[in-house]
Amino acid sequence: MNRRQFVSGLGAAGVALIQPAGMRAAAPTAPVAIAKCKSYGDEYLAATAKMFDQLGGLGRIVKGKTVTIKINLTGVENARQDYLPQGRTIWTHPRTVGTVIHLLDKAGARRIRVVEGAWMWPASLEEFMWKAGWDPELLLGAAPRVELVNTNLPYKGKQPYTRFPVPQGGLLFPAYDLSSVYAESDVLVSMNKIKEHGTAGVTLSIKNLFGITPTTIYGNKVPKDQPAPRPYAGRTDIGHMGNRQPPSSSLPEKDPGSPRQAGYRIPRIVADLAAAAPVSLALLDGIDTVAGAELPRPGTTVAISPGVLVAGLNAVNTDAVAMAVMGLDPMADRGKVPFETCDNTLRLAEELGVGTRDLGRIEVVGASIKDVVFRFRDYGGPRQRRLPGNRPAA
Amino acid sequence: MQFDNIVPLRWPSGPLEIARREKSAGFDAQARQTLERWHDPAALEFLKGTAIDCIVISWAAGLAADAEQQRTAAPLIEAAKRLNLAVVGWGEGTADHNTAIAAAQAAGLTAVAIHGLRGKPEYPVIAWSERTDVPWDSTAPAVAIGDGVWPGVAPSSGGGGSSSAGPTGVPWLDSNGWYIQMARVRLQAPLWVVFDPPTPPAVVPAQSYVKAICDTETAGGRWLITLDDKLRADLAAGTTAGWKDIAAAAGFFKAHPDWKAYRSLGLVGILSDFEGADFDLSGEILNLMARRDLLFRVIWKSQAQGTEQPFSGLKALVYADAKPPEPALRRKITAFVEQGGLFVTGQEWGKAGVPKPPNFETQFDVFAVGKGRLAIAKAALDDPYQLAAETQLLLSHRNDLVKIYNSPSAGCTRYTASPDGKTALLQCLSYADSRWAGLRTIWVRERYPSTRLWTIDTPPAALEAHPSEEYAGVEYRLPEKATQAYLALEFERQRT
Repeated sequence: MNRRQFVSGLGAAGVALIQPAGMRAAAPTAPVAIAKCKSYGDEYLAATAKMFDQLGGLGRIVKGKTVTIKINLTGVENARQDYLPQGRTIWTHPRTVGTVIHLLDKAGARRIRVVEGAWMWPASLEEFMWKAGWDPELLLGAAPRVELVNTNLPYKGKQPYTRFPVPQGGLLFPAYDLSSVYAESDVLVSMNKIKEHGTAGVTLSIKNLFGITPTTIYGNKVPKDQPAPRPYAGRTDIGHMGNRQPPSSSLPEKDPGSPRQAGYRIPRIVADLAAAAPVSLALLDGIDTVAGAELPRPGTTVAISPGVLVAGLNAVNTDAVAMAVMGLDPMADRGKVPFETCDNTLRLAEELGVGTRDLGRIEVVGASIKDVVFRFRDYGGPRQRRLPGNRPAA
Repeated sequence: MQFDNIVPLRWPSGPLEIARREKSAGFDAQARQTLERWHDPAALEFLKGTAIDCIVISWAAGLAADAEQQRTAAPLIEAAKRLNLAVVGWGEGTADHNTAIAAAQAAGLTAVAIHGLRGKPEYPVIAWSERTDVPWDSTAPAVAIGDGVWPGVAPSSGGGGSSSAGPTGVPWLDSNGWYIQMARVRLQAPLWVVFDPPTPPAVVPAQSYVKAICDTETAGGRWLITLDDKLRADLAAGTTAGWKDIAAAAGFFKAHPDWKAYRSLGLVGILSDFEGADFDLSGEILNLMARRDLLFRVIWKSQAQGTEQPFSGLKALVYADAKPPEPALRRKITAFVEQGGLFVTGQEWGKAGVPKPPNFETQFDVFAVGKGRLAIAKAALDDPYQLAAETQLLLSHRNDLVKIYNSPSAGCTRYTASPDGKTALLQCLSYADSRWAGLRTIWVRERYPSTRLWTIDTPPAALEAHPSEEYAGVEYRLPEKATQAYLALEFERQRT
């Protein structure tokens, strides 16, 4: 390991040495709403509508706008946590999407697009949903002018991809080529579960953005000079491990000498994306979810029901509050729970000016954190047991 | 003697088998000793109490040792008969057919299997051949077909010990199921499938044998059970560990002979003459559809021509043969499309209808014709992978009948119904060890009055249907123990 890698690998501690304190203090802040909610029916509708009101009303954000909802359908379509449908454990719940479409329409959204880069999927998002056991017609029928877009395919607009430069030059890549559906979006909504993550510590509203990178460009087996016509595989080579660069039609990494470690790379890619394609509305579902990891892993993940929702207009703020709800410290550095083997994505995004993770600077409305806290690390399997010193007190 | 539900075990032994093998690599003193010991009637002991009711002994290979083999096998044959086992002589190589048949008759064998035999001898002769030379119209008591593969997840070529995967990550499964389904539709006789276990240094666990039996039986065939040298040596030495699992699997399917008569509920028909290059392409399409769990129905062109409505119950039909269908068959296909079906075929059919491109990149031009669609290949049909994948997308997963969760390396699922329509059967295979994958759920579109779960080693159990939380249909939550290579859900379709 050379000095640069050593300093990089220090993560939070290393960067904190070079980060002006004023930058952290200046990171934006916006209110974050918390609601108790036990189910996905009418209770969810009422709780979400109330949270949006607490955040100042949905209309002022979405009226007359093209709204893009990035949902999360991570992993393969036929893996479940025990018998539970994915919407109750690892994926965005389909009824929450339908409900939010309804509320967005009611608030005056001009056009609503539900998007996801479904893993290795060569056809429409609608078809992926059918395969997975969702009924996409419930989403398409939840309001007029609803579209479903698989962002892993070349977008069928004026141009398939649009370059999104990262403010301040980016941490890993200076810019990302994304589906042009994001360029046509006025308001980006991130909807996913509150979960832990095996590589990034937690997966919350900004981690959801990792899936906006098209696997035709950032996936394994893509050509060297241009995007693949269809996705072939996941993002391990370019994203997680840095074994190769994206096609020459996209910008390469800033520093090919940086650590080839997923715990270094994924947080930086996510932070870059959070700055390049900012989330306007983060909506996190902790009604039913899993603890232990982000995907079903027998013996490690367990289904849990914290019964909580967290929403905010700043994704980093929202994620910081969600971490607190999970019983975790958003200010934790690398090496501490839950970032034992990775950098703190929230810190990196904060440094890029996306938003503060300092709970002292974030206004929480609705329920209080202490009323809903659900300590994820009290659940889960062997991964936690291997790290007894990192378990928070019950 | 009826061969419909015989469970045969290949019984290599004696001087002929030694003569055949003694010059081959790896033939050592222990292998010789095993072949000698299996020639001893005492070796039959481990078959007692099992479903194995037929031994297939080495009989004639056109070698000098043929006569000595037939002479020295007499005690073994007599002992087998005393155990109520059928004895079939296995003839291969350059063996003279008439001589082998005469010797078998004289020795009192139940039947003899002759490679490449044509004609209709009076003595029971099982016709056996390779896939390229099957006597489809044989009236033999059984037809044995070789060239089978050892079922399982193919070893990775990329290293790392992981299972290999196709372009979209679907594990590469080796299975004979597609071929057996194809052959069963055409053959009148029971089908024996012939393939050997892997050779050393591969180690063949008992569960691998169980998978081989399940793969064959689920598709409607019967494996001529063939054991590897190590297992035969162990059995000769009285060590029966693992054998019980193999025998149990064989016994399970012997107890369900009626399931072999069940008909596919698949929504995609594969229409072909299955000859020459057409077999190569359509066969591979079947293989790839089976791996994707795209449930299909095999339709031989000759049978479709003689049937008034050969495509009833289908939503899609694939025809990839080089030669266009004859006018009468074309009219039936056209009627199928006009009534709402999807027809996927090559350029020879000719474009017709109103362009209706699908919402994904495809190698087909799609047209609306009547209530249905016509998908014509833009170029020559030479990529069975794409054809299978795109047929599935063109049909759409909204038409899926079954979904299986937490079953990695699954595939070749069969969904069938009894000829009287009163019972449906879903047979699920898992080609890898899936215990790590967690609890399994099976989603089924149709709601049935009652359902029973069958596994090889447990009694049938009623299974409760749970309405799907996020979708149509119902879900069956399988008990933790139901992670084996095979399970079946038996549905009552109508209350009697």
